Amino acid sequence: MEAPVIRMAGVCHSYGTGTLRTQVLFDVTAEVHAGEVVLLTGPSGSGKTTLLTLVGCLRALQQGSVVVLGQELLGASETARVAVRRRTGWIFQLHNLLRALTVLQNVRTGLIGETGIDAAEADRRARALLAQVGLAHHALRRPEELSIGQRQRAAVARALVSRPRLVLADEPTAALDRQSGRAVIDALRALAKESGAAVLLVTHDDRIFDAGDRVLHMEEGRLEPALPGHSKEGASCPHPSSAFSR
Amino acid sequence: MISAPLLAWLQLRREAARLAVAIAGVGFAVVLMFMQLGFMDGLFRSATALHRRLAADLVLMHPHYDVLGKPTAFPRRRLYQALAVTGVATVTGVDTALARWKNPWTGRTRDLFLIGIDPAADALTLPGVETQRRMLQQPDLVLFDALSRQEFGPVAAEVTAHGPLATELNGHRVRVCGLFRLGTTIGTDATVVTNRVTFRRIVPGYGTARVALGLVRLQPGADAEVVRAAIEAELPPDVTVLTRRAFAHRELAYWRSVSPIGFVFTFGVGMGVLIGAIIVYQILFADIAEHQAEYATLKAMGYTTGWLARTVLAQASVLALLGFVPGLATAWRLHVLAHEATNLPMKIGVDRGLLVLGLTLAMCWLSALIALRKLRRADPADVF
Repeated sequence: MEAPVIRMAGVCHSYGTGTLRTQVLFDVTAEVHAGEVVLLTGPSGSGKTTLLTLVGCLRALQQGSVVVLGQELLGASETARVAVRRRTGWIFQLHNLLRALTVLQNVRTGLIGETGIDAAEADRRARALLAQVGLAHHALRRPEELSIGQRQRAAVARALVSRPRLVLADEPTAALDRQSGRAVIDALRALAKESGAAVLLVTHDDRIFDAGDRVLHMEEGRLEPALPGHSKEGASCPHPSSAFSR
Repeated sequence: MISAPLLAWLQLRREAARLAVAIAGVGFAVVLMFMQLGFMDGLFRSATALHRRLAADLVLMHPHYDVLGKPTAFPRRRLYQALAVTGVATVTGVDTALARWKNPWTGRTRDLFLIGIDPAADALTLPGVETQRRMLQQPDLVLFDALSRQEFGPVAAEVTAHGPLATELNGHRVRVCGLFRLGTTIGTDATVVTNRVTFRRIVPGYGTARVALGLVRLQPGADAEVVRAAIEAELPPDVTVLTRRAFAHRELAYWRSVSPIGFVFTFGVGMGVLIGAIIVYQILFADIAEHQAEYATLKAMGYTTGWLARTVLAQASVLALLGFVPGLATAWRLHVLAHEATNLPMKIGVDRGLLVLGLTLAMCWLSALIALRKLRRADPADVF
């Protein structure tokens, strides 16, 4: 069996020092496999975003073991952490597109890890991704000319343009209305399934719970057993790709 | 997959007003640097204006001589001894002294620079002197520098309109019979040329057996350094021989050592760099602060701090170049105006252009390096 894309074991994390020290993660153990869309849910303050930033190498791991894409993160060098970041697609709650760049240029920034491709190839791949998220005709616009939902779909294209084996998403639909959120999550799911990427998606938007193959629920820094009715392991993508082109 | 310089330019262009302020700030610093360097160079160059007009390959002087008008002289006999050295074509003496000029209109006196030449010999390659020096064979006639300061009276206008003008030098009656154009220098406000005999009547203590400078012309093909060494070896040690260039350098060294000009104007250049650096720092800092979230996002995606630093340094380079061009154009125009107002030789050469460009780039990069501290605080974990 193929090694999991993410394997966490006994992860603990604290903020602050001395008497102000607050532990936010307690002995978290979980795996995410290739081709799997895993939702990470829980009330705010439950530690799910902290867990996501640890997996994404944005914070240094304090205790336990996290192996991402074959790299042990405990005690990993900055160079190794940057290398993992480059192989990870990121989608944030706010789209965080660069305002000075066109949509196409923004998507191209996602190709940071790809060395040895020329500008024409980068353009071709970025345009292909934009077409897949339904933004083919918006490639040369600025982010501020797009709706919030369109911007978030552009962010999805940016995260997936390098065909990463792992996509991390933090509340990607929180700022969107129902229809836009649906379009974003369907685009993400379709692209991830197509390339066999693993997706770890932090959310408490129950409108998109059905998009996950599996749900990990967190309460006060601990992983709870999956809630009944939310586990859909092995389910295939239920939404046609046309659903997100609006 | 986007180049740091392209992102730098796009980020700058997005804020047109801020970019305009930055260019104006850098341009102002560039103008300040050019003007300070221009005035410094103009003052120093003016000090050697006469040196460049001497019809000489080598110059003889007293070993303690260091500045024009200094009352050091050497025995006149040395001129004839130098003439005997192989390679020497002609030798002529030049007398120099300060003399009190009486302004014929106000009656007030003021010191000017007095030069005594042999009217038959070619000593000064000044247009007005070359054509009129034969007139000086008559006694008590002088030529006056038309570019002298106004405090000496409207001499040039008077002579041009009504012919010879009578006045006094050190109380001795002379007549201004013609004009030439040399210009004021760091040490002289006006210059008068006369013959050797009249010079000694004006400056009685000078003595007939002494001379301030000896001008040596070489025979065609003679090597200046070889002849210079030969004359020095032949003559007693009461005479020093320098090439005309070295002679000018000695004058410059004097003014550099006694005047605060070098310090004052170098200080001015430093102020220009400082002002520019502060403006550029403010602009870059504001730009980084505004893009903090975007830079944090790029870091999360795997862009390194080094890559982002290159972006900021590229922005600094763009500001330097965009500010330099209008700064150079403005400084060029101001140099022309300053030359017209002061008669100082003011010109921007390639080497000074490159110097200011280098200072401008250094100034912008320094600001960028300080502003980069803000960039290091762009923590990718803060995106959330």
